[in-house]
Amino acid sequence: MATRLGLQKWFPDAFKKFGVYTVFDLMIKYIKEGRIKLDKTRHPQLSTYHDPCNYGRKSEMMFGHGYYEEGRWIMDQCTDNWVDAYPNRANQFCCGAGGGAWLTPYNEERVYYGRKKIEQIKATGAKLIVVPCHSCYDQFKKSLRVEYDMQDLEVKYLWAVVADSIVL
Amino acid sequence: MEALDLTNRSRRKLELKPEWANICFACGTCASGCPVTGVDGWDPRKAIRAAVLGLEDELIDARWPWICTMCGRCQYACPQGVEFVSLIRHVRSHRDREKVPGTLHKGVEAALKTGNNFSIPKDDFIFVMEDVAEEFAEEEGFSDFKMPLDKKGANILCTVHGKLPFGATDDMKFWWKIFYAAKEDWTIPSENWEGVNWGLFTGDDEAMKTMVGRIVENMEKLEAKNLLFPE
Repeated sequence: MATRLGLQKWFPDAFKKFGVYTVFDLMIKYIKEGRIKLDKTRHPQLSTYHDPCNYGRKSEMMFGHGYYEEGRWIMDQCTDNWVDAYPNRANQFCCGAGGGAWLTPYNEERVYYGRKKIEQIKATGAKLIVVPCHSCYDQFKKSLRVEYDMQDLEVKYLWAVVADSIVL
Repeated sequence: MEALDLTNRSRRKLELKPEWANICFACGTCASGCPVTGVDGWDPRKAIRAAVLGLEDELIDARWPWICTMCGRCQYACPQGVEFVSLIRHVRSHRDREKVPGTLHKGVEAALKTGNNFSIPKDDFIFVMEDVAEEFAEEEGFSDFKMPLDKKGANILCTVHGKLPFGATDDMKFWWKIFYAAKEDWTIPSENWEGVNWGLFTGDDEAMKTMVGRIVENMEKLEAKNLLFPE
């Protein structure tokens, strides 16, 4: 988001010189064009999906389009066994590590922040949480699942789910 | 505490734009939807009142604007369209750089100096990328995988999240696998490859602009057709 915002603000001519893709656009392009083939049986466990603030709500507010459905469409191509957490999309809860919070010393507050998200995930009964964001990934994997006694919860990047579903 | 003279507010350190705070109804929708309402006695509504009513230094010096993740849930729900995220980022920008908490500003300084948030030297970066690529090529099905560093005229140019070559190299392989399977023509620059822009978090526009400008330079230098926005 910082890159897109920065291009719009300071280098608007760049959009005339080269094209841009988000990770969602590119994965969807490969899947729709048949350039990658995916096996839906690789992730049989019940999964859920996390909307990162930057790709969802904040993209909607800042760029006029929130990437809500793209990630869900990609999930649909990789597994038949996933459910949404509630609330989701624009009303989801932040993982607690956004905005650089992962890099501040306020660990206790960051974990406290994440309780709302963890409650959401627990309520789905999911064994796998899929995230398309590095900060959310670290917060879930290295912090929240330990702090909230959910060590069995698997955490994966959305592109890792896609990569691990590829049939060569 | 002295009474505030609201008709003559000379001390306006935050240079508030109306859409950042002055149009707030104080309804509290923001505070009721925020997971860190009450931490250190702050909440979004209180922060906005502080900004409007002259308690700027109290807000700038508080930990709370850094515990807030700028997630925008308050702003999304606000009936008045208060731009809370911009306000908090603006508040953060008024912190002395030495007092920015944690490693955020150190990362910004490192990025400006070395091209990446973790100060990985160019030679080390090339070594790591080549090394992990060799390891990846040993996996079944990827024997002819080559690391396309600084490839001119590629269809896709990728940046790299600094934490990956720094300490999570296996996590780079997911995208490599996708590119390989899709037969994509892609590249990674060997300099200024950092995709993560911590200036966004610290309210440092100059640093943010420099980092984005380097991506543009790489796009031009390597004549890449498309940029994959950093994850």
